[in-house]
Amino acid sequence: MSAANPISIENPLRRSADLFRRYTIYTVVVAIILAMSVHLLVLGTDWARMGSPSEIAETAISLLPNLNFIPKIMSPLLDTALMAFWGTLLAVAMSIPVSYLAAATTTPSMIFTFPIGRGLIVLSRSTHEIIFALIFVACLGLGPLPGIIALACRSVGFMSKTTAEAMENADRGPIEAIVATGAGQTARFLFGVVPQVFPIFLGNAIFAFDANVRRAAILGMVGAGGIGLHFSEQMKSYNYGNAGACVLAVVILVIVGEIISNRIRTKLISG
Amino acid sequence: MTYSTANLYKTYMSSARAARLVKFGAGLALFVFGFWTVSFLDIPMDRLFGFFGRLGPMLVNRIFPPDLVYATDWKILMSIVETIEMSLLGAFYGTVITIPLAWWAAWNITPNRTLLYPFARAVIVICRSFPALILGFLLVAIFVFGPFAGVLALTIGTIGFAGKLMAEQAESIDMGPVEAVRATGAGPLKVFIFGIWPQVKPAWWGIIIYNWDARLRASTILGFVGAGGIGLHLRLQISQLEYHAAMGIITLVVVLVIISEAISHFLRERLR
Repeated sequence: MSAANPISIENPLRRSADLFRRYTIYTVVVAIILAMSVHLLVLGTDWARMGSPSEIAETAISLLPNLNFIPKIMSPLLDTALMAFWGTLLAVAMSIPVSYLAAATTTPSMIFTFPIGRGLIVLSRSTHEIIFALIFVACLGLGPLPGIIALACRSVGFMSKTTAEAMENADRGPIEAIVATGAGQTARFLFGVVPQVFPIFLGNAIFAFDANVRRAAILGMVGAGGIGLHFSEQMKSYNYGNAGACVLAVVILVIVGEIISNRIRTKLISG
Repeated sequence: MTYSTANLYKTYMSSARAARLVKFGAGLALFVFGFWTVSFLDIPMDRLFGFFGRLGPMLVNRIFPPDLVYATDWKILMSIVETIEMSLLGAFYGTVITIPLAWWAAWNITPNRTLLYPFARAVIVICRSFPALILGFLLVAIFVFGPFAGVLALTIGTIGFAGKLMAEQAESIDMGPVEAVRATGAGPLKVFIFGIWPQVKPAWWGIIIYNWDARLRASTILGFVGAGGIGLHLRLQISQLEYHAAMGIITLVVVLVIISEAISHFLRERLR
């Protein structure tokens, strides 16, 4: 073959060794996915309890929202939005000291305070809001207050992380100019770092509010206020129509929150 | 109208006064709004002030030390494995569905702007707007108790989360190669494979890995509503007021999430 056609060029993407390696990887990945699917979805599911397709369709139809229930959940819906608002505000307030500690350029001591700031960020980012809510409900009682604090603890990690990164990437020029005037630590931070970081900080605060609206909607399931309580109550008492109304309200709230935050953020960016 | 100094001064002062008045009004409105929300939410201020006084003893007496003997029980470790499997499967199936949806939902490369684009956008927006736990609860009611509902919830979560990021990424690609492939007479699928996929591949892999990380966080809690994974044990221990055991599970979950974050960070750094 190659003798008859001396100018045949080997396709570098189709070398047989590479092809073999690639297809081996594909096969192994597909085998793992299949094994997990069989383990979880086929063997791990109680198919006798699944019911026939018509039963599934019946349940799904009974979940269609009962619109008469909507006026009753307007007040908890407003609670949810306000919880997200206050939680974000608290997170913003808490993120200022934490990001001050966790940014390598501003932290007072790399050995003591830097690990504290980073540790707080990791702890806040890796704990689910439900877990925070459980702890705070246990020591503050039911109602929106533990929910607000849980939301704040949950989103302070994101806020501090992005702010600390922004402070580390801040332009050195203005900071050095302020140091050259003989300014101390506080003035250097307030007039050198803060003006550069503020727009990023504001944009992230709005993003955190958007995420907090979604989180606030489920906190009621563990008694931390908002619409989640009504949703889980209606679900547990098999009032599927009313539960569907709660879900509809949450979905509309989340979409409205996203549209508003997108508007504000594009305005902030375009100035 | 004469432009005398006195006139200019007067105009300046009045406009400055107006600006100050507007600022004052906005501040006052915000203040009133804050007070109104506190009364609307019915927040007990005395409890807030006693917060740290109660948090300390509660952490010491009820929560510490976490019961790690219980948390490393074989049953618990197996449900951790189940949680990881759920997150992998949900992320995998979700990604398989998301890739074409993200292609259709990017305005510059969508094959059909009148039908496919709005359809894909609507699917992504709807999938995005359901909180994971609510979705898990609904799917458990519709289908069955167990990881089936959880994997389905995670799949839908992936479509909403990764779909938006991928579509945004695809909207910023270079249109030159796409036009070139299109000019050879290739159909939409070939344009995607040879013009679009090579450009978006690195960024989309990053999004896929990040999405898996996010799904793992969600899957640790889905068991709360019976959708499979470690959350079920957490809920049982909390219902039985076994706070030490619950804290042991929480510790395990936090360690798992930190490890997954390290893995996803490492993989994304290597992609760069």
